[in-house]
Amino acid sequence: MKPAWSWQFDPATLQRVPASLPAAITRDWAFDGTTGAGVKVAIIDSGIDAAYPGVGPLAGGAVVVADEDAPRGARVIEGPHEDLFGHGTACAAIIRQAAPDAELYSIRVLGERLTGRGIVFAEGMRWALEKKMHVLNMSLSTSRNDYFGLFHEIVDDAYFKRAMVVCAVNNVRAPSYPSQYASVFSVAAHEGRDPFRLEYNTSPPVEFGAPGIDLEVGWLGGRSIRATGNSFAAPHITGLIARILGKHPGLTPFQMKTVLTALADNAQ
Amino acid sequence: MDERGSTKDLLAEVIQLASDLGPVLRPRGDEEFLQAIVETARLVFDAAACSIALFDEGDEELVFRVAAGLGAEATVGIRIPADRGIAGWALMSGQSIAVDDVRQDPRFAADIAESTGYVPNAIMAMPLESERQTFGVIEVLDRRRGGGEGVDDMEVLALFARQATLAVESSRIFSNLGRALLESAALAAQRDSLRVALQERAAQTPRSQVELAELALLFHDLGVLGPDERRAAARIAEDFLAYARKQRR
Repeated sequence: MKPAWSWQFDPATLQRVPASLPAAITRDWAFDGTTGAGVKVAIIDSGIDAAYPGVGPLAGGAVVVADEDAPRGARVIEGPHEDLFGHGTACAAIIRQAAPDAELYSIRVLGERLTGRGIVFAEGMRWALEKKMHVLNMSLSTSRNDYFGLFHEIVDDAYFKRAMVVCAVNNVRAPSYPSQYASVFSVAAHEGRDPFRLEYNTSPPVEFGAPGIDLEVGWLGGRSIRATGNSFAAPHITGLIARILGKHPGLTPFQMKTVLTALADNAQ
Repeated sequence: MDERGSTKDLLAEVIQLASDLGPVLRPRGDEEFLQAIVETARLVFDAAACSIALFDEGDEELVFRVAAGLGAEATVGIRIPADRGIAGWALMSGQSIAVDDVRQDPRFAADIAESTGYVPNAIMAMPLESERQTFGVIEVLDRRRGGGEGVDDMEVLALFARQATLAVESSRIFSNLGRALLESAALAAQRDSLRVALQERAAQTPRSQVELAELALLFHDLGVLGPDERRAAARIAEDFLAYARKQRR
Protein backbone atom coordinates (compact mmCIF):
# COMPACT_ATOMS: atom_id res chain seq x y z
CA MET A 1 0.00 0.00 0.00
CA LYS A 2 1.17 3.53 -0.76
CA PRO A 3 0.08 6.83 0.64
CA ALA A 4 -2.00 9.15 -1.54
CA TRP A 5 -0.10 10.89 -4.38
CA SER A 6 2.87 8.52 -4.22
CA TRP A 7 1.77 6.74 -7.42
CA GLN A 8 2.88 9.89 -9.25
CA PHE A 9 6.44 8.91 -8.47
CA ASP A 10 6.29 5.25 -9.59
CA PRO A 11 9.01 4.69 -12.18
CA ALA A 12 6.29 3.58 -14.61
CA THR A 13 4.25 6.75 -14.34
CA LEU A 14 6.88 9.34 -13.47
CA GLN A 15 6.75 12.16 -16.05
CA ARG A 16 9.90 13.47 -17.73
CA VAL A 17 10.60 17.15 -17.13
CA PRO A 18 12.86 19.26 -19.31
CA ALA A 19 16.17 20.08 -17.66
CA SER A 20 15.50 23.48 -19.08
CA LEU A 21 17.78 25.93 -17.36
CA PRO A 22 21.39 26.14 -18.52
CA ALA A 23 24.26 26.91 -16.17
CA ALA A 24 24.37 30.50 -17.43
CA ILE A 25 21.07 32.07 -18.47
CA THR A 26 21.84 34.59 -21.19
CA ARG A 27 19.74 36.91 -23.31
CA ASP A 28 20.72 34.90 -26.41
CA TRP A 29 19.55 31.68 -24.77
CA ALA A 30 16.30 33.29 -23.67
CA PHE A 31 15.32 35.65 -26.49
CA ASP A 32 17.28 34.91 -29.64
CA GLY A 33 15.36 33.70 -32.68
CA THR A 34 11.92 33.69 -31.07
CA THR A 35 8.79 35.75 -31.65
CA GLY A 36 6.40 34.19 -29.16
CA ALA A 37 4.75 32.02 -31.86
CA GLY A 38 2.48 29.35 -30.41
CA VAL A 39 2.15 31.11 -27.06
CA LYS A 40 -1.39 31.99 -26.00
CA VAL A 41 -1.63 35.31 -24.16
CA ALA A 42 -4.80 36.54 -22.44
CA ILE A 43 -5.11 40.30 -22.03
CA ILE A 44 -7.67 40.70 -19.26
CA ASP A 45 -8.53 44.38 -19.63
CA SER A 46 -10.86 46.79 -21.43
CA GLY A 47 -10.98 45.00 -24.82
CA ILE A 48 -8.56 45.35 -27.74
CA ASP A 49 -8.89 47.32 -30.96
CA ALA A 50 -7.59 44.71 -33.43
CA ALA A 51 -7.37 47.40 -36.13
CA TYR A 52 -4.72 49.33 -34.21
CA PRO A 53 -1.45 49.26 -36.21
CA GLY A 54 0.60 46.19 -35.33
CA VAL A 55 -1.90 44.72 -32.88
CA GLY A 56 -4.16 42.40 -34.94
CA PRO A 57 -5.09 39.77 -35.71
CA LEU A 58 -6.51 38.50 -32.45
CA ALA A 59 -6.83 34.77 -31.84
CA GLY A 60 -10.11 35.18 -29.96
CA GLY A 61 -11.82 36.84 -27.09
CA ALA A 62 -14.70 37.16 -24.67
CA VAL A 63 -16.56 39.72 -22.61
CA VAL A 64 -17.27 38.92 -18.97
CA VAL A 65 -20.31 40.52 -17.37
CA ALA A 66 -21.64 40.43 -13.83
CA ASP A 67 -24.74 38.27 -13.62
CA GLU A 68 -26.31 37.50 -10.27
CA ASP A 69 -28.14 34.52 -11.73
CA ALA A 70 -24.95 32.88 -13.01
CA PRO A 71 -23.54 30.18 -10.70
CA ARG A 72 -20.39 32.19 -9.91
CA GLY A 73 -21.94 35.64 -10.28
CA ALA A 74 -20.55 36.38 -13.75
CA ARG A 75 -21.15 35.23 -17.32
CA VAL A 76 -18.77 34.90 -20.28
CA ILE A 77 -19.89 35.95 -23.76
CA GLU A 78 -17.39 34.75 -26.35
CA GLY A 79 -16.76 36.77 -29.50
CA PRO A 80 -15.27 39.98 -30.87
CA HIS A 81 -15.80 43.27 -29.02
CA GLU A 82 -14.42 46.82 -28.97
CA ASP A 83 -12.02 48.44 -26.53
CA LEU A 84 -14.04 50.68 -24.19
CA PHE A 85 -11.14 52.70 -22.80
CA GLY A 86 -8.06 52.20 -24.98
CA HIS A 87 -5.99 50.54 -22.29
CA GLY A 88 -6.32 46.95 -23.54
CA THR A 89 -5.10 48.12 -26.95
CA ALA A 90 -2.12 49.79 -25.25
CA CYS A 91 -1.25 46.49 -23.52
CA ALA A 92 -1.61 44.49 -26.75
CA ALA A 93 0.70 46.87 -28.64
CA ILE A 94 3.30 46.66 -25.85
CA ILE A 95 3.20 42.84 -25.80
CA ARG A 96 3.64 42.76 -29.59
CA GLN A 97 6.99 44.57 -29.23
CA ALA A 98 8.62 41.48 -27.72
CA ALA A 99 6.25 38.80 -28.94
CA PRO A 100 4.99 39.83 -32.40
CA ASP A 101 3.68 36.34 -33.22
CA ALA A 102 2.03 35.46 -29.90
CA GLU A 103 -1.64 34.49 -30.07
CA LEU A 104 -3.46 37.35 -28.33
CA TYR A 105 -6.86 36.89 -26.73
CA SER A 106 -8.88 39.84 -25.46
CA ILE A 107 -10.87 39.17 -22.31
CA ARG A 108 -12.86 42.27 -21.49
CA VAL A 109 -13.64 42.63 -17.80
CA LEU A 110 -13.54 46.43 -17.48
CA GLY A 111 -16.28 48.84 -18.37
CA GLU A 112 -19.58 47.08 -17.86
CA ARG A 113 -20.14 47.68 -14.14
CA LEU A 114 -18.00 48.55 -11.14
CA THR A 115 -20.17 46.60 -8.75
CA GLY A 116 -18.93 43.02 -8.45
CA ARG A 117 -15.85 43.67 -10.54
CA GLY A 118 -13.68 41.28 -8.48
CA ILE A 119 -16.04 38.45 -9.45
CA VAL A 120 -15.81 39.54 -13.08
CA PHE A 121 -11.97 39.68 -12.99
CA ALA A 122 -11.93 36.19 -11.46
CA GLU A 123 -14.27 34.77 -14.11
CA GLY A 124 -12.07 36.23 -16.85
CA MET A 125 -9.05 34.49 -15.33
CA ARG A 126 -10.96 31.22 -15.09
CA TRP A 127 -11.98 31.44 -18.74
CA ALA A 128 -8.36 32.05 -19.75
CA LEU A 129 -7.22 29.03 -17.75
CA GLU A 130 -9.98 26.84 -19.21
CA LYS A 131 -8.83 27.87 -22.69
CA LYS A 132 -5.29 26.84 -21.74
CA MET A 133 -3.69 30.27 -22.04
CA HIS A 134 0.01 30.31 -21.22
CA VAL A 135 0.23 33.91 -19.97
CA LEU A 136 -2.43 36.12 -18.36
CA ASN A 137 -1.84 39.87 -18.37
CA MET A 138 -3.75 41.73 -15.66
CA SER A 139 -3.08 45.46 -15.55
CA LEU A 140 -5.74 45.77 -12.89
CA SER A 141 -6.27 45.13 -9.22
CA THR A 142 -8.67 45.33 -6.34
CA SER A 143 -7.86 46.14 -2.71
CA ARG A 144 -10.98 44.48 -1.33
CA ASN A 145 -9.89 41.82 1.08
CA ASP A 146 -13.15 39.93 0.51
CA TYR A 147 -11.49 38.67 -2.67
CA PHE A 148 -8.30 37.38 -1.04
CA GLY A 149 -9.42 33.72 -1.00
CA LEU A 150 -11.03 33.81 -4.42
CA PHE A 151 -7.93 35.09 -6.20
CA HIS A 152 -5.65 32.88 -4.14
CA GLU A 153 -7.50 29.82 -5.41
CA ILE A 154 -7.30 30.99 -9.01
CA VAL A 155 -3.61 31.91 -9.02
CA ASP A 156 -2.82 28.55 -7.41
CA ASP A 157 -4.82 26.85 -10.16
CA ALA A 158 -2.86 28.89 -12.72
CA TYR A 159 0.42 27.85 -11.13
CA PHE A 160 -0.53 24.16 -11.20
CA LYS A 161 -1.42 24.56 -14.89
CA ARG A 162 1.92 26.30 -15.55
CA ALA A 163 0.12 29.48 -16.59
CA MET A 164 2.00 32.69 -15.83
CA VAL A 165 -0.12 35.41 -14.21
CA VAL A 166 1.38 38.87 -14.69
CA CYS A 167 -0.15 41.66 -12.59
CA ALA A 168 0.39 45.38 -12.17
CA VAL A 169 0.65 46.43 -8.53
CA ASN A 170 -1.43 49.40 -7.52
CA ASN A 171 0.06 52.63 -6.31
CA VAL A 172 -0.84 52.40 -2.66
CA ARG A 173 1.33 50.59 -0.14
CA ALA A 174 -1.38 48.11 0.79
CA PRO A 175 -2.16 44.62 -0.48
CA SER A 176 -3.94 44.45 -3.81
CA TYR A 177 -5.17 41.36 -5.60
CA PRO A 178 -4.22 39.41 -7.60
CA SER A 179 -0.74 41.00 -7.59
CA GLN A 180 -0.11 40.00 -3.97
CA TYR A 181 0.57 36.26 -4.27
CA ALA A 182 3.97 34.57 -4.51
CA SER A 183 3.27 32.72 -7.75
CA VAL A 184 2.24 35.93 -9.56
CA PHE A 185 4.66 38.09 -11.58
CA SER A 186 3.98 41.42 -9.89
CA VAL A 187 5.20 44.44 -11.83
CA ALA A 188 5.77 48.16 -11.26
CA ALA A 189 7.13 50.81 -13.60
CA HIS A 190 10.80 51.73 -13.87
CA GLU A 191 12.20 54.65 -15.81
CA GLY A 192 13.64 52.78 -18.78
CA ARG A 193 12.13 52.75 -22.26
CA ASP A 194 13.77 49.62 -23.74
CA PRO A 195 11.11 46.88 -23.80
CA PHE A 196 13.83 44.25 -23.30
CA ARG A 197 15.20 45.75 -20.07
CA LEU A 198 13.86 44.70 -16.72
CA GLU A 199 14.89 44.87 -13.09
CA TYR A 200 14.34 42.57 -10.13
CA ASN A 201 13.29 43.80 -6.70
CA THR A 202 14.71 41.78 -3.83
CA SER A 203 12.02 43.06 -1.44
CA PRO A 204 8.72 41.82 -2.89
CA PRO A 205 5.67 41.74 -3.09
CA VAL A 206 6.51 43.73 -6.23
CA GLU A 207 9.15 41.64 -8.01
CA PHE A 208 9.79 43.06 -11.47
CA GLY A 209 10.37 46.54 -12.85
CA ALA A 210 9.64 47.31 -16.51
CA PRO A 211 9.00 50.43 -18.62
CA GLY A 212 5.86 52.31 -17.60
CA ILE A 213 6.84 55.97 -17.26
CA ASP A 214 6.08 58.55 -19.90
CA LEU A 215 5.57 56.05 -22.71
CA GLU A 216 3.93 56.50 -26.10
CA VAL A 217 1.20 53.85 -26.03
CA GLY A 218 -1.63 52.77 -28.33
CA TRP A 219 -5.14 54.01 -27.51
CA LEU A 220 -8.57 54.42 -29.07
CA GLY A 221 -9.25 55.27 -32.70
CA GLY A 222 -5.77 54.36 -33.96
CA ARG A 223 -4.22 57.18 -31.93
CA SER A 224 -1.46 56.99 -29.36
CA ILE A 225 -1.09 58.83 -26.06
CA ARG A 226 1.81 59.55 -23.71
CA ALA A 227 1.09 57.79 -20.45
CA THR A 228 2.49 56.63 -17.11
CA GLY A 229 1.39 53.78 -14.86
CA ASN A 230 2.28 50.37 -13.51
CA SER A 231 -0.46 49.10 -15.78
CA PHE A 232 1.87 49.72 -18.75
CA ALA A 233 4.80 47.96 -17.06
CA ALA A 234 2.96 44.64 -16.65
CA PRO A 235 2.48 44.00 -20.40
CA HIS A 236 6.22 44.53 -20.94
CA ILE A 237 6.90 41.56 -18.66
CA THR A 238 4.07 39.62 -20.34
CA GLY A 239 5.71 40.23 -23.73
CA LEU A 240 9.09 38.98 -22.49
CA ILE A 241 7.52 35.88 -20.94
CA ALA A 242 5.63 35.09 -24.16
CA ARG A 243 8.84 35.51 -26.15
CA ILE A 244 10.80 33.19 -23.85
CA LEU A 245 8.00 30.60 -23.78
CA GLY A 246 7.99 30.60 -27.57
CA LYS A 247 11.54 29.23 -27.44
CA HIS A 248 11.36 27.32 -24.16
CA PRO A 249 7.86 25.93 -23.79
CA GLY A 250 7.14 24.03 -20.62
CA LEU A 251 8.96 26.33 -18.22
CA THR A 252 7.16 26.55 -14.90
CA PRO A 253 6.26 29.95 -13.44
CA PHE A 254 9.12 29.70 -10.94
CA GLN A 255 11.61 28.70 -13.62
CA MET A 256 10.42 31.71 -15.59
CA LYS A 257 10.99 33.93 -12.54
CA THR A 258 14.50 32.53 -12.31
CA VAL A 259 15.11 33.30 -16.00
CA LEU A 260 13.74 36.85 -15.75
CA THR A 261 15.77 37.49 -12.60
CA ALA A 262 18.94 36.28 -14.36
CA LEU A 263 18.20 38.64 -17.27
CA ALA A 264 17.51 41.64 -15.05
CA ASP A 265 19.80 44.65 -15.39
CA ASN A 266 20.60 44.47 -11.68
CA ALA A 267 21.54 40.75 -11.80
CA GLN A 268 25.18 40.20 -10.87
CA MET B 1 -37.42 50.96 31.41
CA ASP B 2 -39.48 47.81 31.02
CA GLU B 3 -38.97 45.45 28.08
CA ARG B 4 -42.06 46.77 26.30
CA GLY B 5 -41.47 50.39 27.07
CA SER B 6 -43.50 53.11 25.39
CA THR B 7 -42.43 54.67 22.09
CA LYS B 8 -41.64 57.81 24.03
CA ASP B 9 -39.20 55.98 26.30
CA LEU B 10 -37.55 54.24 23.38
CA LEU B 11 -37.13 57.48 21.52
CA ALA B 12 -35.66 59.04 24.64
CA GLU B 13 -33.17 56.19 24.77
CA VAL B 14 -32.27 56.62 21.10
CA ILE B 15 -31.84 60.36 21.53
CA GLN B 16 -29.60 59.76 24.52
CA LEU B 17 -27.55 57.26 22.48
CA ALA B 18 -27.33 59.59 19.50
CA SER B 19 -26.22 62.39 21.80
CA ASP B 20 -23.57 60.21 23.47
CA LEU B 21 -22.30 59.01 20.13
CA GLY B 22 -22.75 62.35 18.38
CA PRO B 23 -19.11 62.98 17.50
CA VAL B 24 -18.63 59.54 15.99
CA LEU B 25 -21.95 58.99 14.28
CA ARG B 26 -21.32 61.42 11.49
CA PRO B 27 -18.06 63.33 11.36
CA ARG B 28 -18.99 66.85 10.43
CA GLY B 29 -17.66 68.50 7.36
CA ASP B 30 -16.43 65.56 5.29
CA GLU B 31 -17.33 67.64 2.25
CA GLU B 32 -15.18 70.48 3.58
CA PHE B 33 -12.38 68.04 4.25
CA LEU B 34 -12.53 66.70 0.70
CA GLN B 35 -12.55 70.30 -0.54
CA ALA B 36 -9.44 71.01 1.54
CA ILE B 37 -7.74 67.95 0.05
CA VAL B 38 -8.33 69.03 -3.55
CA GLU B 39 -7.26 72.59 -2.80
CA THR B 40 -4.04 71.41 -1.16
CA ALA B 41 -3.32 68.93 -3.96
CA ARG B 42 -3.87 71.66 -6.54
CA LEU B 43 -1.34 73.90 -4.78
CA VAL B 44 1.22 71.11 -4.29
CA PHE B 45 1.12 70.17 -7.98
CA ASP B 46 0.64 73.77 -9.13
CA ALA B 47 -2.15 72.26 -11.19
CA ALA B 48 -4.89 73.90 -13.23
CA ALA B 49 -7.50 71.91 -11.32
CA CYS B 50 -8.04 69.04 -8.94
CA SER B 51 -11.27 67.20 -8.23
CA ILE B 52 -12.79 64.21 -6.48
CA ALA B 53 -15.61 62.21 -8.06
CA LEU B 54 -17.48 59.59 -6.05
CA PHE B 55 -19.09 56.50 -7.51
CA ASP B 56 -22.88 56.36 -7.50
CA GLU B 57 -23.72 52.68 -7.33
CA GLY B 58 -27.34 53.12 -8.39
CA ASP B 59 -26.52 54.75 -11.71
CA GLU B 60 -23.01 53.33 -12.19
CA GLU B 61 -21.81 56.91 -12.62
CA LEU B 62 -19.08 59.12 -11.23
CA VAL B 63 -20.35 62.29 -9.56
CA PHE B 64 -17.91 65.17 -9.03
CA ARG B 65 -18.30 66.15 -5.38
CA VAL B 66 -15.54 68.72 -4.91
CA ALA B 67 -13.19 70.61 -7.22
CA ALA B 68 -10.58 73.36 -7.03
CA GLY B 69 -9.13 75.51 -9.79
CA LEU B 70 -10.24 76.10 -13.36
CA GLY B 71 -13.81 75.08 -14.11
CA ALA B 72 -14.32 74.10 -10.46
CA GLU B 73 -17.81 75.54 -10.12
CA ALA B 74 -18.98 73.95 -13.34
CA THR B 75 -17.40 70.62 -12.41
CA VAL B 76 -19.11 70.02 -9.06
CA GLY B 77 -22.27 68.00 -9.53
CA ILE B 78 -21.36 66.73 -12.99
CA ARG B 79 -22.12 63.06 -13.54
CA ILE B 80 -20.11 61.04 -16.03
CA PRO B 81 -20.57 57.40 -17.00
CA ALA B 82 -18.00 55.19 -15.26
CA ASP B 83 -17.43 53.12 -18.39
CA ARG B 84 -15.26 55.60 -20.22
CA GLY B 85 -12.44 58.09 -19.94
CA ILE B 86 -9.30 58.19 -17.86
CA ALA B 87 -11.18 58.54 -14.55
CA GLY B 88 -13.47 55.66 -15.46
CA TRP B 89 -10.51 53.46 -16.27
CA ALA B 90 -8.76 54.27 -12.99
CA LEU B 91 -11.97 53.50 -11.09
CA MET B 92 -12.64 50.21 -12.88
CA SER B 93 -9.07 48.90 -13.01
CA GLY B 94 -8.02 49.98 -9.50
CA GLN B 95 -4.87 51.40 -11.11
CA SER B 96 -3.41 54.89 -11.21
CA ILE B 97 -2.73 56.44 -14.56
CA ALA B 98 -1.22 59.67 -15.88
CA VAL B 99 -1.80 60.75 -19.45
CA ASP B 100 0.02 63.77 -20.78
CA ASP B 101 -1.91 64.44 -23.97
CA VAL B 102 -5.48 63.47 -23.28
CA ARG B 103 -6.69 65.49 -26.25
CA GLN B 104 -5.49 62.56 -28.34
CA ASP B 105 -8.43 60.65 -26.89
CA PRO B 106 -11.22 62.28 -28.89
CA ARG B 107 -14.09 60.83 -26.87
CA PHE B 108 -12.59 62.02 -23.60
CA ALA B 109 -11.94 65.53 -24.85
CA ALA B 110 -15.46 65.92 -26.18
CA ASP B 111 -17.05 64.64 -22.97
CA ILE B 112 -15.08 66.89 -20.70
CA ALA B 113 -15.28 70.00 -22.86
CA GLU B 114 -19.02 69.61 -22.97
CA SER B 115 -19.32 69.35 -19.21
CA THR B 116 -16.77 71.77 -17.74
CA GLY B 117 -15.68 74.02 -20.55
CA TYR B 118 -12.05 73.32 -19.68
CA VAL B 119 -10.11 70.74 -21.67
CA PRO B 120 -6.82 69.74 -20.05
CA ASN B 121 -3.71 68.46 -21.75
CA ALA B 122 -2.58 66.24 -18.90
CA ILE B 123 -4.56 64.29 -16.38
CA MET B 124 -3.52 62.11 -13.49
CA ALA B 125 -6.19 59.87 -11.97
CA MET B 126 -6.09 57.60 -8.96
CA PRO B 127 -8.82 55.38 -7.52
CA LEU B 128 -10.07 55.97 -3.97
CA GLU B 129 -10.09 52.44 -2.69
CA SER B 130 -10.01 50.84 0.73
CA GLU B 131 -9.91 47.19 1.68
CA ARG B 132 -13.70 47.30 1.88
CA GLN B 133 -14.84 49.30 -1.11
CA THR B 134 -14.02 51.47 -4.10
CA PHE B 135 -15.35 54.98 -3.51
CA GLY B 136 -14.31 57.09 -6.47
CA VAL B 137 -11.43 58.85 -8.15
CA ILE B 138 -9.17 61.84 -7.47
CA GLU B 139 -7.93 63.70 -10.54
CA VAL B 140 -5.27 66.34 -11.11
CA LEU B 141 -5.42 68.32 -14.35
CA ASP B 142 -2.41 69.99 -15.99
CA ARG B 143 0.09 69.79 -13.14
CA ARG B 144 3.08 72.10 -13.55
CA ARG B 145 5.12 70.96 -10.55
CA GLY B 146 6.32 67.54 -9.52
CA GLY B 147 9.58 67.19 -11.40
CA GLY B 148 8.05 65.59 -14.46
CA GLU B 149 8.54 62.09 -13.12
CA GLY B 150 5.09 60.56 -13.28
CA VAL B 151 5.64 57.97 -10.60
CA ASP B 152 6.89 60.47 -8.03
CA ASP B 153 3.78 62.52 -8.70
CA MET B 154 1.70 59.44 -8.19
CA GLU B 155 3.28 58.74 -4.84
CA VAL B 156 2.34 62.23 -3.71
CA LEU B 157 -1.15 61.89 -5.12
CA ALA B 158 -1.47 58.54 -3.32
CA LEU B 159 -1.17 60.41 -0.01
CA PHE B 160 -4.06 62.69 -0.91
CA ALA B 161 -6.05 59.71 -2.21
CA ARG B 162 -5.50 57.94 1.10
CA GLN B 163 -6.80 60.93 3.06
CA ALA B 164 -9.85 61.24 0.84
CA THR B 165 -10.55 57.51 1.10
CA LEU B 166 -10.38 57.62 4.89
CA ALA B 167 -12.65 60.66 5.00
CA VAL B 168 -15.28 59.12 2.75
CA GLU B 169 -15.06 55.72 4.38
CA SER B 170 -15.37 56.94 7.96
CA SER B 171 -18.23 59.19 7.00
CA ARG B 172 -20.06 56.27 5.35
CA ILE B 173 -19.30 53.84 8.17
CA PHE B 174 -20.78 56.16 10.75
CA SER B 175 -23.78 57.17 8.72
CA ASN B 176 -24.47 53.45 8.20
CA LEU B 177 -24.01 52.94 11.92
CA GLY B 178 -26.45 55.77 12.60
CA ARG B 179 -28.90 54.27 10.15
CA ALA B 180 -28.59 50.87 11.85
CA LEU B 181 -29.39 52.49 15.19
CA LEU B 182 -32.37 54.45 13.92
CA GLU B 183 -33.83 51.53 11.98
CA SER B 184 -33.47 49.38 15.06
CA ALA B 185 -35.18 52.08 17.10
CA ALA B 186 -38.05 52.18 14.64
CA LEU B 187 -38.36 48.42 14.84
CA ALA B 188 -38.19 48.54 18.62
CA ALA B 189 -40.84 51.24 18.78
CA GLN B 190 -43.23 48.88 17.05
CA ARG B 191 -42.70 45.80 19.16
CA ASP B 192 -39.72 45.22 21.31
CA SER B 193 -36.76 46.49 23.27
CA LEU B 194 -33.97 48.36 21.53
CA ARG B 195 -31.49 45.65 22.35
CA VAL B 196 -33.59 42.92 20.76
CA ALA B 197 -34.16 45.12 17.70
CA LEU B 198 -30.43 45.76 17.36
CA GLN B 199 -29.80 42.02 17.48
CA GLU B 200 -32.42 41.49 14.81
CA ARG B 201 -30.89 44.24 12.69
CA ALA B 202 -27.50 42.51 12.94
CA ALA B 203 -29.05 39.21 11.89
CA GLN B 204 -30.78 40.73 8.85
CA THR B 205 -28.00 43.01 7.69
CA PRO B 206 -26.13 42.20 4.46
CA ARG B 207 -22.78 40.55 5.14
CA SER B 208 -20.75 43.69 4.39
CA GLN B 209 -22.57 45.68 7.09
CA VAL B 210 -22.91 43.01 9.73
CA GLU B 211 -19.90 44.32 11.65
CA LEU B 212 -21.49 47.77 11.75
CA ALA B 213 -24.77 46.46 13.09
CA GLU B 214 -22.88 44.46 15.69
CA LEU B 215 -20.85 47.53 16.57
CA ALA B 216 -24.11 49.44 17.09
CA LEU B 217 -25.21 46.72 19.47
CA LEU B 218 -21.95 46.97 21.39
CA PHE B 219 -22.35 50.74 21.68
CA HIS B 220 -25.80 50.23 23.05
CA ASP B 221 -24.59 47.77 25.67
CA LEU B 222 -21.71 50.05 26.63
CA GLY B 223 -24.14 52.93 26.90
CA VAL B 224 -25.99 51.28 29.76
CA LEU B 225 -22.82 50.56 31.77
CA GLY B 226 -21.14 53.01 34.10
CA PRO B 227 -18.58 55.67 33.09
CA ASP B 228 -15.64 53.58 34.37
CA GLU B 229 -16.54 50.68 32.11
CA ARG B 230 -17.07 53.02 29.16
CA ARG B 231 -13.65 54.62 29.71
CA ALA B 232 -12.02 51.18 29.95
CA ALA B 233 -13.75 50.11 26.73
CA ALA B 234 -12.57 53.26 24.97
CA ARG B 235 -8.99 52.61 26.11
CA ILE B 236 -9.13 49.04 24.79
CA ALA B 237 -10.52 50.27 21.48
CA GLU B 238 -7.77 52.91 21.24
CA ASP B 239 -5.08 50.34 21.99
CA PHE B 240 -6.50 48.01 19.42
CA LEU B 241 -6.65 50.77 16.79
CA ALA B 242 -3.03 51.74 17.48
CA TYR B 243 -1.99 48.09 17.19
CA ALA B 244 -3.97 47.56 13.96
CA ARG B 245 -2.49 50.72 12.40
CA LYS B 246 1.02 49.60 13.34
CA GLN B 247 0.42 46.21 11.73
CA ARG B 248 -0.58 47.86 8.50
CA ARG B 249 2.53 49.97 8.10
